[in-house]
Formats: sequence, structure tokens, C-alpha cells
Amino acid sequence: MFLHNLKYSLKTLFKNKMLIFWTYAFPLILGTFFYLAFSNIENSEKLDIIDIAIVDNEEFNNSIALKESFRNLSGENEQEQLFNIKYVDLAEAKTLLENDEIAGYLLVEDSPKVIVKTSGINETILKYVTEEIIQNEDVLTNIIEEKLNSTVIDGSIEEFIQNVREDAISMLDTSSLQIRDITSKKLSYTMIEFYTLIAMTALYGGIIGMTAINQNLANMSNNGKRIAVSPTNRIKIIFSSLLSSFIVQIIGLFILFMYTVFALKVDYGNNFPMIILLSLTGSLAGLSLGLAVGTIFKINENLKTGIIIAFTMLGSFLSGMMGITMKYIIDTNAPIVNKLNPVNMITDGFYSLYYYTTYNRFYFNIISLLIFSLIMIILSVLALRRQKYDSI
Amino acid sequence: MKTILSVENLIKKYKNFKAVDDLSFDVKKGEILGLLGPNGSGKSTTINCILSLLKFESGKITIFGCEMRPDAYDIKKDIGVVFQEVAVFEELNVIDNIDYFCGLYIKDKEYRKKCIDDAIKLVGLEDFKKFYPKQLSGGLLRRLNIACGIAHKPKLVFLDEPTVAVDPQSRNNILDGIKKLRDNGATIIYTTHYMEEVEILCDRVIIIDKGKIIASGTGDELKELSKIEEKVTVEIDSLDEKILEEIKQFKNVDEATYNNGILFITYKKGKNNLSSLIDYLKKVDVHYDKIYSERPTLNDVFLYLTGKELRD
Ligand SMILES: Nc1ncnc2c1ncn2[C@@H]1O[C@H](COP(=O)(O)OP(=O)(O)OP(=O)(O)O)[C@@H](O)[C@H]1O
Ligand SMILES: [Mg+2]
Repeated sequence: MFLHNLKYSLKTLFKNKMLIFWTYAFPLILGTFFYLAFSNIENSEKLDIIDIAIVDNEEFNNSIALKESFRNLSGENEQEQLFNIKYVDLAEAKTLLENDEIAGYLLVEDSPKVIVKTSGINETILKYVTEEIIQNEDVLTNIIEEKLNSTVIDGSIEEFIQNVREDAISMLDTSSLQIRDITSKKLSYTMIEFYTLIAMTALYGGIIGMTAINQNLANMSNNGKRIAVSPTNRIKIIFSSLLSSFIVQIIGLFILFMYTVFALKVDYGNNFPMIILLSLTGSLAGLSLGLAVGTIFKINENLKTGIIIAFTMLGSFLSGMMGITMKYIIDTNAPIVNKLNPVNMITDGFYSLYYYTTYNRFYFNIISLLIFSLIMIILSVLALRRQKYDSI
Repeated sequence: MKTILSVENLIKKYKNFKAVDDLSFDVKKGEILGLLGPNGSGKSTTINCILSLLKFESGKITIFGCEMRPDAYDIKKDIGVVFQEVAVFEELNVIDNIDYFCGLYIKDKEYRKKCIDDAIKLVGLEDFKKFYPKQLSGGLLRRLNIACGIAHKPKLVFLDEPTVAVDPQSRNNILDGIKKLRDNGATIIYTTHYMEEVEILCDRVIIIDKGKIIASGTGDELKELSKIEEKVTVEIDSLDEKILEEIKQFKNVDEATYNNGILFITYKKGKNNLSSLIDYLKKVDVHYDKIYSERPTLNDVFLYLTGKELRD
């Protein structure tokens, strides 16, 4: 029964042209479109080094993380230089910004702030990088405190301060800390678009699951009525259909990965086990979204497809599909939105895999995806418990 | 005769609307039972309740001597259902569609293959095995729909208006197929609002209207209910009012009307009604183009019982 249904479910899914278009062809087309559109931007802007200013006050000089990070990013190695930094006083920074000579300036007072005039891509990069450094500063501080507790016992204070300072700098330099080469070469802002593309495709997989499940339910389709009057266990059939949807989904995602890696030269990093883990978890989230939409709403199948597409598209937009600026705005102004946004969980997962050497943020995304899936599955199970219907 | 299905006091409401109103009937082994009723009379609702697809307010359904439940797989394995709406996969061809649904009942592949062949033969789709539903005409699609529902050789078959919007050729094919199923030992419940089909096909008929049984019995038994024995139609260019009045006084005449050149007379009973009418018309020197006599139909029964036509 399980295999019988699996076989035919696979057959019907693969032959469903609309479905294959949305879940296979559309992401490939969109990816190609991104590639064409952004490769121009990247080629023309990639080499540009961004002019910025930093207000050279006491607070800035006291912040080891900021100072050393920015020093690195304006480093001597031209290949990797991201910023061209002028260290000035506040008044001059303002004038420079006014005259459009810089994209923005960093002012460290109680907390570090980035002041910009417009919100172009250079401004976003400056903000983003600063944000990253600030976030990582906490980690750095912790490490320093640990050191403090252990070293203070032996040795003088002078010696200690010197040690910590050197340690911190070397940590930043060798990138053993979070920020891995944020350089103009690596910080490709089109990367996020491809991450959202993968995330979008994973959630579009929900259409596959929804289509398959719709055919199993008596209150959703005529074929479902046939299954309902046959001597088969519903749960077995549903599991079998979900498995076939998952297979179709994974194959689609695999094709997209191959295409973006080999044809479009997208770099997802080298951590394959984690990339696979994230892809599978993302697909699971898509599948359970499809299951929920399929089982809960008693509406036309096309409308259900529409709901999944609209939900995914909105999620993709908020997590930066149309430009990293959007993700930045949401992440800083309404972080809760993207914490609840499954597309962003996947996008951010890839992002953190690529930029960070530690897995905290990555695992946070994985767990968020699992929780999202669990909620969707619980809602579906509640809807599926009915065996007889009030009306069909 | 053994009772295969028994429905006792079935009541089903959609919100406040009573779609099935205290329905009770039995189906005996080997018979074709016709459920005849106009659109919206509750035929499909009744079937869906019997099959445990719909919740119902009260009533008891017993099939093969056991109470029907959603997980009564032992009962379900011997039931075949052809729903009113076509239920097939657009993406699968004729053979695959039948194989999928048959496979929900029969695991053994060899036996299943034989069953599929038999089903295809029964509905006459031999030349369309590799066709997809989209490539089939309305009638052929209905035949596929039937094949999917009965390929596993069920002992009890429900057919819900399997001939709606079907060309005469396919209709005859379908009706023949259903007779063959019965001849092979199946018990059949057949719903329709075509009284002609019921008359050709069914051993027994239940007429329902507004969710209630208004009559049941064999075709002949039902026709007796209408109290009409014979209907005579005469095409006459013009007819004197006096003559019409006189015809109304004839022996056995129930009613006589004349409209648009048609004289229509219904007789309650009796013999030689037609010949005495012809004799009379000759006597009064009335010329007619055509004259013919008919037996009453189930529509007359329905008309008599409810005051409205079975189909509008
Ligand atoms: N899901 C529903 N919700 C509310 N009312 C319904 C629903 N399904 C059917 N009905 C009503 O219940 C009544 C019986 O419907 P049903 O489909 O059983 O009739 P039917 O005899 O099969 O008619 P038809 O010959 O048109 O198929 C109709 O009046 C219909 O409008
Ligand atoms: Mg009906």
C-alpha cells in the first residue's frame, strides 16, 4: 500500500506541469535572472572601495573590536580592502558626508552608530559590517573576561592588560573569531539573493506536499473520496504521499544547487554536511507548510497554491531576495518578523554558515525551522483527526 | 434473500437543512436497487452517509451484517463506489488510473492485472488503454470513472448517477456493464434521475423526494400507484368543445385535455380503451393524423405522488 501509493504519487507529481514549473523551473529562471542582473552590478561595483569616515574619539579608541576590525578592513592588502577610512573629528565627518565624499561615518558614543545620508548598497554594507562587529564584540568581551579571571591570579596587572590586548588583536587578525574575511571580494551582496532563492525553493516544496495530500483527503478532492472508501489506512497513505513529495522536493533543490554552483558560480562555503542539514530542514519546513495549508483550508487547490506562493514570496522579500537592504532593515528594526519568517531562517542559516566559524547562529536557525515545522504538523494533525465530515 | 445493506432511520442535516429525513431501506443480495429522485433530493448525501464519509445526526448503517464505520476495512474491501463526480488522476493514463485505485484493494500484482483487464473490457475501453483523461470524451471518461470504482470485483457496488451527461452509446455500454456486474453476483445500488434507466435496469426502485422515501417497489408495483393504466395521445387539427366533454364522460377516463392540436387522455383502468376511442372518433367524423397509446412511466408516478415532474 505504502509503496504502491508512493510510486503513483511520484508519477503524478512529476507529471504535473504547473507544479514542476513552480518548484523546478521558476527557481532556475529566477536564479539566472539574478545572475544576469547582479553580475553587472558586481563587476562594476565590486572593485570599488567604499569611502567612509570614523570619528576618532576616545570611545572609538577604547573599543578594541571596532578599531581592529576596521583597521583590517581598510588593510594594506588591496585585494581584500573594503573601506577607505578617514579618521576625523565629528565636524569634519559631517562635512564630508554633506559633500558626498563618504558613504557614511561611524560615531562611537554610548554605543556605536553609523550615520548615512541615503540608503544605497554602500551605505548598507557599512551598516551591516558595523552591526556584525558589534554583535561579535560581546563574544570577544566574554573571552577577555575569562582570560581575566584566570590570569589575574598570577602576574601583574600591566602585563595582563598587554596580554589581553595582544590576544584580542591576534584573534581578530586570524579570524578565529566570528567574522571571517569580510572583504570586498567575499562580501558579495548578491550572495544573499541566492540564499533566499534556495530558501524560497525549499518552501515552494510546500506546493508539492499540498498537491499530494489534497488527493488523499475526502473533503478536498474526489480522488480523496475514493481513497476514503477503500480499505486503506489513511495515515499510511498520507505518510507515503508526504515521502514522495519530499523526494520530489529534494531532487528539485539538488538540481537548483547544481545549477547555481556550477553554472552561476555561487559559493555556499565548504561545510557540506551542514549545507545538507539546512537544506533538508528547510525542505521539511516547506513540506509541513504545504501539509498544513492542504489539510486546514477547505478551498480550491489553485487558491492553496496561491497562498503558499504569496507567503513564500513575502518571506523571501523580507529576508532579502530583492536586495540585502530589506533584510538589514527588518533585522534591525523589527527583528521579530524575520525570527518568525521561515524563509529567513533558511537564508540566515546559509549566511551564518558562510560568514561564521561558530555554529550558534546556524543552530538557532535550524531549531527555529524545526519548531516552525512542528507547529505546522500539529495544526495538520488536529485537522486530520476528523474521519467523517459535516459536508464534503 | 440475504440482506446486504440495511439503512435504519437515517437523518442527515447540513446546518439546519434536513437533506435526508428518516430514511430506512434494505438491499437484498443480488438485486439492483434504484434510488430515483430529482436533483437535490438527497441521493448522494444518502450514499455518502452509508459510506461513513459524512457524519449524520442519527440512524444505523449495517453492511454485510456489521455496523459500518470509517475504519471497517473488512466491509470496505468488498465495496465499490462510483461517485457522481469523475475521480481520476489527470496525470495518469487509463491503465495507471485503474491500477492505482485497484491497488488500494488488491496487493497481488498478477491478480490485479487480470482485474484491470476485466474492468477495461467491461466498460469497453480496450482501445484507449494509454489515453490520458484529458484525451477521453465525456462518455469515455465516465466509463473510466466506473472502471476505477469496480475493478476490484466488489460484492456491493454504489453507482451515483454514472450516466449524467453521457452520449447514448456510452450510456448503453454503461447500463450493459452494470447488468454484467449483477450477473457476476454483485449487489448494486444505482442512483439516477433518469426514470428510463431505472425501468430498464432495476429490480426494485425507491423514489425519494426532499430526503424522504415517497414510494418503493418494483416498476410495475409503482406504476399501479399512479392509478393510471394507459395514456392516449391523438393529434387532431381541431376539436369541438362538445366532443371533448363527451370523451371525458367515457368509461375509465381519468382526464382528457386538448391543447395545441394534441388531445391527451389518461385512463384509470380497463381494456379496449384505444379501440373504443377510435370507433367513437370515426362515428363523429373527426380526422386525426396520429394516434398512439402508452403505458404510464415512473414520471407519472412521481407526478401523481408529488404534483411535480421528476425532471424539469
Ligand atoms: N455540502 C453541502 N452543504 C449544504 N447543503 C448541501 C451540501 N451538499 C448537498 N446539500 C443539499 O442537500 C440536498 C441533497 O443534496 P444531494 O447532493 O444529496 O442531492 P442529489 O439527490 O444527489 O442531487 P443530484 O441529482 O443533483 O446529484 C440538496 O438540497 C443540496 O442543496
Ligand atoms: Mg447527487
